[in-house]
Amino acid sequence: MACERNIERIQELVDGTLGPIRRAELEQHLAQCDTCRALRDDLEAVRDAAAALPQMRPPDGAWLQIAGRLRQEGRIRDTAARRAERWSYGWLAIAATLVLAAGASLLVLVRTPSPATAPSPAPGAVAAPPSTTAVKGDPSVEAAQSAVDSAQQQFEKAIVDLEKIARANSGAIDPATSAVIDKNLGIIDQAIAENRAAVKAEPSSVAARETLFEALRQKVSLLQDTIALINEMRRGNNAAAAQLVNKS
Amino acid sequence: MSPSKESDLALVARCREGDLGAFEELYKAHAGRLYSLAFRMLGNAADAEDLLQEIFLSAHRKLESFRGEAALGTWLYRLAMNQILDHVRSRAARAGQLTDGLDDASALADAGGHRLADRAIDRIDLERALGELPDGCRAAFVLHDVEGLEHKEVADVLGIAEGTSKSQVHKARLKLRKLLSV
Repeated sequence: MACERNIERIQELVDGTLGPIRRAELEQHLAQCDTCRALRDDLEAVRDAAAALPQMRPPDGAWLQIAGRLRQEGRIRDTAARRAERWSYGWLAIAATLVLAAGASLLVLVRTPSPATAPSPAPGAVAAPPSTTAVKGDPSVEAAQSAVDSAQQQFEKAIVDLEKIARANSGAIDPATSAVIDKNLGIIDQAIAENRAAVKAEPSSVAARETLFEALRQKVSLLQDTIALINEMRRGNNAAAAQLVNKS
Repeated sequence: MSPSKESDLALVARCREGDLGAFEELYKAHAGRLYSLAFRMLGNAADAEDLLQEIFLSAHRKLESFRGEAALGTWLYRLAMNQILDHVRSRAARAGQLTDGLDDASALADAGGHRLADRAIDRIDLERALGELPDGCRAAFVLHDVEGLEHKEVADVLGIAEGTSKSQVHKARLKLRKLLSV
């Protein structure tokens, strides 16, 4: 055990508040006492590790809940048709990227030797590029609405395909991680259900669409991470897998 | 007016008009820092997530009071800290303790296991150990050693004496050393 009368002085040394005279006395003692020196080194290690803790990523569902509550409280202003057009084009582009990404994720899994797993769907089932015919031509509100519908369909298709892959290969993930993923998917599913209801109640609301799209995008993102995790576990790449778990 | 103040005011103005995209921009810029603070002060993810939502909903309601005297991040940090502390205090009151007791410093100083300084402390282990500290002790430690406040500032924020802040931080370090040494 460290010398009892020195514990507080060692703490002040670690705090950086020990005066020069007492500090000199303590340094003399530390030079001779292994136990007190070990205490100082450990407390400094704790202090330094705490100061170096990185910023954490908030849970995926948090923003969706906030956006949903702001809308419920009537604090979000629905915007003009011009804004509807801008957003619809953006979301269609994102949806297209996600569908292609779903295909790429699947391709990695299919190429990876997989003992005793359920058969995965064919890559062609998800890799088809989305149609953009809905946004070509007159950029009227109707065209924008059509583009929004198309983007939503692309998101939903990507989710169905990714869910199939993730479910068929879920045995590769340990039960604790799998439970966390299921919990997060449950939160996102709840947000999607709420936002679908909001879109149904107000089909022309851009804000409601935006929030639904954000929920769909987050679900795609989590499923993609899950599949990436399965791939890393299969490869035995524990470091990369741990990074993905920390990310989620 | 500085460019950052100008952009803060412009973003807040868009949020006040009900622009969800603007508020998402604000959320993305500050949520990580505020969630980290809430998570570490409260010691668990579920409470931190609930509180993060309350912080941003409260921020949205109070945007009218933002005048740009402080940076938007500072304004949000203060607002978040007040809400986190209300939560910590009410939880501590329910548990019947605000300045909580750990074992004596001398008993805690006996770490037993391996020396921490000989290896890098794993971030996840440290976060987990933080969650095992009593509320008051953890709050003082997070403010002092993680957030970098002085003991006097910790005392002001938590409404305790400066000596109590020192005692809580010091006990927290010893307890963490013990938890991390096994």
